[in-house]
Amino acid sequence: MARYGMALDYKSCINCKACESACKEENGILLGADNHRIWVGVNEIEGLFPDLSIGSSNFQPSQCQQCDNAPCQSVCPTNATYYDDNGVVRVNPDQCILCTYCMQACPYDARYIDDRTVTVDKCNFCSDTRLIHGETTTACQATCPTKVRIFGDLDDPESEISQTLRDREHYSLKAHLGTKPKLFYLT
Amino acid sequence: MKTEISRRRFLQGTVALTVVGATAAATALANAELGKEGKKSKIVDFGLTKTQYSDKLQEIPTLCEMCVNKCAAIARIEDGVLTKLNPNPLFPKSRNMLCARGNAGIQALEDPDRLKYPLIRVGERGEGKFKRVTWDEAFEYVKEKMVTIIDEEKDNRSTIGYCAGEGMAEHTYTSFMGDKIGSSNYVNHGSICLATTIAGYTLTLGGYGQADLENAEYVIMAGANRAEAIVTPDTMDMFKRTKGRGSKLIVIDPRFTNTAAHADKWLPIEVGTDLAFVLALTYTVITEERYNKRFAEENLSDFEDYKKHILDHNYTPEWAEAITGIKADDIRQVARDFMAHAPRAIYYQGRRTAWSLQDYQLRRAQAIFSAMGGGVDKKGGIIFGKKLPLGDHSINGPMYDNAQERIEKDKAASIGASGSWIAWRNTIIDGSAPYPVRAFFAYKQNPMMSIPNTAKTKQMLEKMDLVVVIDTMPSDTVMMADVVLPESLYLEREDPVKSFGGAEPSIALRKKVVEAKFDTKPVIEIMRGLGMKLSKPLFEVSKKYDEALQEEIADRGEKEVYDEDGYDLADGYRHSQESINHHMVESVYGEDAWKTLREKGVFYPDMDKFFKKLSVNEYEYYPEHKKSYSIIKGDLNNEPYHDTCVDINEIAVLKKKFRTATKKIACALYNLEKKKGVDAMPTWRDELYTPTPEGRFKFITGRHGQFTQSGTANNALLLELLPENYLWINKRVAKEKGIAFADLVEVKSSVGTIQIKAYPTEKIGPNAVFFIHGFGADSSELTLAHHRGANDNTIIEDHYEKTFGSAAMHETIVDIRRV
Repeated sequence: MARYGMALDYKSCINCKACESACKEENGILLGADNHRIWVGVNEIEGLFPDLSIGSSNFQPSQCQQCDNAPCQSVCPTNATYYDDNGVVRVNPDQCILCTYCMQACPYDARYIDDRTVTVDKCNFCSDTRLIHGETTTACQATCPTKVRIFGDLDDPESEISQTLRDREHYSLKAHLGTKPKLFYLT
Repeated sequence: MKTEISRRRFLQGTVALTVVGATAAATALANAELGKEGKKSKIVDFGLTKTQYSDKLQEIPTLCEMCVNKCAAIARIEDGVLTKLNPNPLFPKSRNMLCARGNAGIQALEDPDRLKYPLIRVGERGEGKFKRVTWDEAFEYVKEKMVTIIDEEKDNRSTIGYCAGEGMAEHTYTSFMGDKIGSSNYVNHGSICLATTIAGYTLTLGGYGQADLENAEYVIMAGANRAEAIVTPDTMDMFKRTKGRGSKLIVIDPRFTNTAAHADKWLPIEVGTDLAFVLALTYTVITEERYNKRFAEENLSDFEDYKKHILDHNYTPEWAEAITGIKADDIRQVARDFMAHAPRAIYYQGRRTAWSLQDYQLRRAQAIFSAMGGGVDKKGGIIFGKKLPLGDHSINGPMYDNAQERIEKDKAASIGASGSWIAWRNTIIDGSAPYPVRAFFAYKQNPMMSIPNTAKTKQMLEKMDLVVVIDTMPSDTVMMADVVLPESLYLEREDPVKSFGGAEPSIALRKKVVEAKFDTKPVIEIMRGLGMKLSKPLFEVSKKYDEALQEEIADRGEKEVYDEDGYDLADGYRHSQESINHHMVESVYGEDAWKTLREKGVFYPDMDKFFKKLSVNEYEYYPEHKKSYSIIKGDLNNEPYHDTCVDINEIAVLKKKFRTATKKIACALYNLEKKKGVDAMPTWRDELYTPTPEGRFKFITGRHGQFTQSGTANNALLLELLPENYLWINKRVAKEKGIAFADLVEVKSSVGTIQIKAYPTEKIGPNAVFFIHGFGADSSELTLAHHRGANDNTIIEDHYEKTFGSAAMHETIVDIRRV
């Protein structure tokens, strides 16, 4: 029993997409540009050459925000989307009927259709590929060149993520929607 | 600041980088509607496997070869299948990471287009028609041709030309071709990559060194793009400390790159004018007396001459503004800030520095400017570090009396043992060679795509009586081969053990993680096979023409000469790579070190004591006081560590020929001027600058974080991340020309024409255009890479600078029109 979350030191991101590749290799995500659990957001730069606004071109690594109050879970008519014992929002392929309500409900656009399992799939913190086998972290965290991610148990006050969130300013995406994400962007 | 970007916005916003998926969602939905039975119908399996953690799980350490960095990886093998490559935290150089390419090594292994067995051409050269043969048949074919050619050339071994890309087995191959076969005509990646910066820094500071980006407080990166052209540990050390977190980053680049996105200041510069910028920085700190006077007095030779030189030429910031387009005030500010942070301030050396005709002097000027701040051989500056020694593995090379010097040796002031690719090729095709080069071997290099002016490379290959290519993929160069010798992929072989120098030195090993899938061999076995086939017949040829050999035989008898003088060409390659590696490690560090290296993939003395995991993301390799920052202590003549791409022998030759006797940082190289007519001190030359005419564009090329040159262009996973290359063109200029995003445009230079889709953007200025190198393969055997995007070297003109013969890739003027 844990409550897993992730803190992202997003200022270190260089948009190299190692995380996206590691995620695909680890979790067997099929090819296709829409088939990804994880991505790096980029804004079109503001300004006209040579006067560009550097700060407008931040890279923002993103994925399922692992909401404590997940809209995708509450709209699911078959309870295919559920919270596991570690608070991770997961999908049971046997119950998914591809109604795609979850895709509409997710404010983070974190859902996609997986052709292998015929499921509206999403990031599950590598629960079935790594954590269940005793690994302590996700594939994206492990592979990142500039070490953007900290993964850990939010309920453990001694965990590195808990300590980091105590010490550093951070924000969540679309906090005003009340979804209570367990992904935290460090500033 | 907060930015919120959803998947959809991501797809729209960076559509230039991700357009392949336009119909992917529709396909996914259609497939889904087919239900569970139909789900496999449209899915192509390129080796993406979900981790199962079977009972038969093995974890084997190895080194990546998806680019040149050699990051340490741990391969997870389940039931004999490679299911994941994870980073190995023990290796100081790669700092516990594996990038997108490293992860995609599985797709390289599983690529259905790989070269699977030896081939001999059956159609016309370049037609791409081959038949499958055995290794013995392939070697026999090579032997027949080589014996005839070398016999007709009267044992001039240099009639066999050869090239190689960078790699751990490069030396195994070059020792065979150079020392055993005996040819002097070698060309490698140096002259299309980092030759000018290696020479510039070595002749100035005594070594290329390593930028200590873990401790630098102020870094100027000019042209170098460490966010996209990843170099370890530089990339990881740099970007954890940008954006107000320890290091200022100033990016000088005609393009707004991902590196610029991390900069405190981005100064776009006119292409090819960096030297003027550095000279003006130097002028500023001299006139304002901001340099480190004590360091300069103790360590810089001819510094008074250099100061006078800079002042006499009046290299003012205003002068530089007119040339570079960078405001004089910005130049002054950068100069002042640099010196305020010195010695923890670095003008980053750069790697692929084959830019302009003035590139060598640019690198000299950078090195001297860095040194004026005192940041040389010091923490936070350019450091030399240490390298752990390995045991010896020597090759006994015969002496060939009739082997002649390299053909292009007089085409630049100083052409080293790894040649000038462009000058060498052009010498073959323009008829100015003193003797014919009739055969060509290529290993791990794809000159059809990597050397400026592809048409001329094709012409050169067409002139050959024999073309042999060793590679893993059917590249455009493989299509021009007579004989194709397939190399095992890096995951299928053990390579020569390697020592990695730096502040935190270590030894690392590339170990086989899976059995070879096809009838392929590692280079050492290919050399062994060729050697066994060629030794006796080529010895017979030498006996006919080599008078020195005839005398030796008369004196000592044929058997003794053959056995002892290295004419057995296979003798250095008989042992397995593993047993050679064992000897090289065990003889210096003992049996336990060898066991550690095999088990962990990495070894350095006291690793068990020093290595610590500090947090989920931080590791300590050496305690701070054990790191090798300052090693020289006043004596710059020590043998410093060089980057893994650098040929140590070449450095030794450079220093022997041209270093002054002062053993200090060299501001002036009067020897080089006297002997070769090369400017002793960095001097801006108007006549070596190519202005861009109104309405036309200067073409620049570069790298990308998800691809390594043309070598990864067929990788299914990486093509997801970047499906093709696009032409960067200024948005307002594009609009004037009626060019919209993804419109097909024609790019035309004096040597070629390509078509490519447009990416109008404000990230580039109005008189330059750019696209990424490595796309646009012509080989029809590359299912995914074939005619995807465009090949830069089809349009890049074959200019080279005249000091070291290094390519000048940013001197091409092009015209653009919408197709």
